Amino acid sequence: MAAPFSRVYRPLWRIITTSALNRGVRNVSSSRQQWSAQNVKPAGAASPWALHGAVCLQRLPAVSQDRSPIEEEFMELMHQMELERSLLSDHELRLLEDAARMSRKQEEDYDSDEEEEDYRDKEIVTAQDLEDIWEQKLKQFQPAPRSQAVDEKDVSSSERCLADSLILLVKKHVGSQKLWLLPQIQWQTGETLRQTAERALASLPGADLTATFLGNAPCGFYKYKYPKDIQKEGSVGAKVFFFKAVLPSHKHLPLEKNSFAWVKKEELQDFLKPEYLKQVRRFIMAL
Amino acid sequence: MNTLLNKVLLLQNTQALVCAVSSVQSQLLTTHMALGVLLTNRQYRSMPTHGIGKYRHLLPKALPKKKKDRVQVKQIKAATATEFGVFNVCVSGYDMTLVEHYSQYIHNLCNHLDIKVDESYALPTKSTEVMLMQEQGTKMYLDAVLKTHERIVQISEMKATLFPIFMDVVLKNQPEGVRFCVKQHSETDFQARFKTRPELEGLLAKINN
Repeated sequence: MAAPFSRVYRPLWRIITTSALNRGVRNVSSSRQQWSAQNVKPAGAASPWALHGAVCLQRLPAVSQDRSPIEEEFMELMHQMELERSLLSDHELRLLEDAARMSRKQEEDYDSDEEEEDYRDKEIVTAQDLEDIWEQKLKQFQPAPRSQAVDEKDVSSSERCLADSLILLVKKHVGSQKLWLLPQIQWQTGETLRQTAERALASLPGADLTATFLGNAPCGFYKYKYPKDIQKEGSVGAKVFFFKAVLPSHKHLPLEKNSFAWVKKEELQDFLKPEYLKQVRRFIMAL
Repeated sequence: MNTLLNKVLLLQNTQALVCAVSSVQSQLLTTHMALGVLLTNRQYRSMPTHGIGKYRHLLPKALPKKKKDRVQVKQIKAATATEFGVFNVCVSGYDMTLVEHYSQYIHNLCNHLDIKVDESYALPTKSTEVMLMQEQGTKMYLDAVLKTHERIVQISEMKATLFPIFMDVVLKNQPEGVRFCVKQHSETDFQARFKTRPELEGLLAKINN
């Protein structure tokens, strides 16, 4: 693989005309808003479900995953086959020529005039010298480490497990309990659900994370009822819509241990409630 | 006189018969029967063996070879409320195998998800020369030549609901050393693929001046 690019080289991925796309696609979410607004006017009462927008913030993998033993063996085999089938490059041909010329020089019947009339214009630097220079340069090159010196179990650091994608969880007071959730916030009238999700991300205390949202369409949905004692006439429960966002993997400041966590998909079950987990698992992709 | 008339008519008939055989695929072997029988009795269409030996209708239709006319500028579809218009996914990098494989991966993913891929092409390779300053002296010498390869997959009519999923998959599978970006397709992008024609431009400039 290209040696100079072992360093974390993140995509400068952007949709240039995000605004144009937003303009085109915004109608989807605003129509939902109009629909809920229309529900309000004739009925006179709001829907008993409170709307929340949540963000599924993902830190993308920074390095490729390690190969399994079979994959390693196969890769070795393919490399060897490719090497055996390949032709010699210019540099290698030059090496061979120089070696042959050297061996001819050592012989007794070496006719220097006859040989050198062809090679008088050759440079002083032979191919072998070039190769040595290149070897030296390679030794000086330091590729970026494949894993930062961070404890793998420390969920509050976003530098852990560079080969996997991590999701941000926050601990929140819900009713009387403290639960681990994806960051969510209540929807206010007049804004699209995507804006709600953006607000949810921005309102996280202590973390200024600027993420790119992948689209206006939500990726998941979770509905829950309030416990009986809180349920009133107009509020039965809440519906949460999740939006996916992607975090560029630059260095991040470590977040508070007890309120933030960066987890892989396998570790989600240690943090989330079973019902919630079932819905969230459907849209999170582990690679 | 009658026999003479018969002979003349017979001669005429045989000539007609020769013409008929040469131009019409008639398998009837006619013997020199009575004159009226030959002329009026065209019963080959009703014969069971009519058309026996015909095969041209069974071959596939060979269209006439059309010359490649100038590539037309396709109408770039605009975005609607639920679908994106035409956009380009550009993959570029220094390592050609990675770039190629990644672009093939994206193309196959689109095929699998039934996303319409308009075109999939490569832009010309750009060579960058890395020149280093010599330690003793002011001359720069050539250190390395880096080649940037670029592949583009053009996608049209993608649903807005599918886009976040597609982006998620593609971003998570991005290899190291490969740059990836999504751009809207425009006229300039299309024209950039063509070679410039300096004589034509010179003549146009002269006309305008």
